Amino acid sequence: MIGRRAVGWLGAAVVLTLVFAAYLRPDVVITLAQQLWNCF
Amino acid sequence: MSAAVPATPSTPDRQQLSMTQVLLCGAFIVTLSMGIRHGFGLWLQPITMDRGWSRETFAFAIAVQNLAWGLAGPFAGALADRWGAWRVLIIGAVLYAAGLVLMGLATSGLAFTGSAGIVLGLAQSGTTYAVIYGVIGRNVAADKRSWAMGMTAAAGSFGQFLMVPVENWLIGGLGWQGALFVLGCLALAIVPLAFGLKEPAAQPAQHGEQGIVAAVREAFGNPSFQLLTAGYFVCGFQVVFIGVHMPSYLKDHGLTPDVATTALALIGLFNVIGTYAAGVLGSHLPKRLVLAAIYGLRAVAIALFINLPLTPWSVYIFASTMGLLWLSTIPPTNALVAQIFGVKYLSMLSGFVFVSHQLGSFLGAWLGGKLYDSTGSYDVVWWIAIALGVFAAIVHLPIREHAIHRAVPA
Repeated sequence: MIGRRAVGWLGAAVVLTLVFAAYLRPDVVITLAQQLWNCF
Repeated sequence: MSAAVPATPSTPDRQQLSMTQVLLCGAFIVTLSMGIRHGFGLWLQPITMDRGWSRETFAFAIAVQNLAWGLAGPFAGALADRWGAWRVLIIGAVLYAAGLVLMGLATSGLAFTGSAGIVLGLAQSGTTYAVIYGVIGRNVAADKRSWAMGMTAAAGSFGQFLMVPVENWLIGGLGWQGALFVLGCLALAIVPLAFGLKEPAAQPAQHGEQGIVAAVREAFGNPSFQLLTAGYFVCGFQVVFIGVHMPSYLKDHGLTPDVATTALALIGLFNVIGTYAAGVLGSHLPKRLVLAAIYGLRAVAIALFINLPLTPWSVYIFASTMGLLWLSTIPPTNALVAQIFGVKYLSMLSGFVFVSHQLGSFLGAWLGGKLYDSTGSYDVVWWIAIALGVFAAIVHLPIREHAIHRAVPA
């Protein structure tokens, strides 16, 4: 049970890190900086 | 003869759907519905350039969308409570797809406002938190409700975080129109997921049972509901003011665009963590205290941010802190509505609270620009955001969390 939960948390951390890394790609940085920053 | 019964039994009358099914379907639906809309700002430049419109035309449609989303929320919620969330979700998904396609085809400002503004606003009212939370409320035991709402809200936050780079990639690969058509197809994925939230239809109110009008009267006459609604206004104001105006604020202070983009990513990342954590905390602590802490911490974070020297690292720390507090108000606010008033009209009552949030959102976006134009800086609006944070922290303290007792014929 603890092992499955740890794998779940680890998987979530990996996915979040990958998405975060996508924001730091130069093309995304440039596009976002040029656009309306509409967070909600 | 009458007897008083609590509005919220400790467990649902009937466990109609499994918790796993509700969570999975609900989480995927809000991931899509919150995610798709979150990247609309990316279309500003390509659409206005291609169509020859002003930025105001685009911004007006998005403002209308936010208002339509808020104002339609109670009606979508009432329909979901009465005829089943799954029906409302299907209609919402079809409207979402139609709105995105029409947004791509619109060649006049009026048509754009109708599609991107009104149709998409209506679609969002039928596919976002209030509708899903009604199903959660009716199918998840009270002691797990806040956690379940936190899990679903975290999925919505993840959708927002995920879809900005995805939509940027789609626009780059397919063009802005093609990207909208793909998103329209994606919105239709809500339809099969909606069947996973299909509950037996609620029966019309029997003699002695509370009807919709009585439920609305009861809620609006209840001081705790009024305080909760007032607090949610502050959430909308702060989040949208910061979201819309912070890049300009950073630019005015000489920071580079990559700082703003990294701050956006940090808000998105920590928002996922914060919304889930708020749901968990709401399961263990009084929800009014969780909400008071969130608003109080927001006020402290903003006060420190504008009074300390502005550097990239101060921006990153502020963005991470605000990310933790960003949509974290959603699970405890909605769980409190369920706890106090019961789950029969939860979607509708959550919709009413959300109207206040959207009015705050509108004011945060508009007042930020208005006061900047008249004073030449954002200082006044930052201080308003701090004062509102303190106000919201205080008004949550006297909220009475226990279920209200209603007199029913014996």
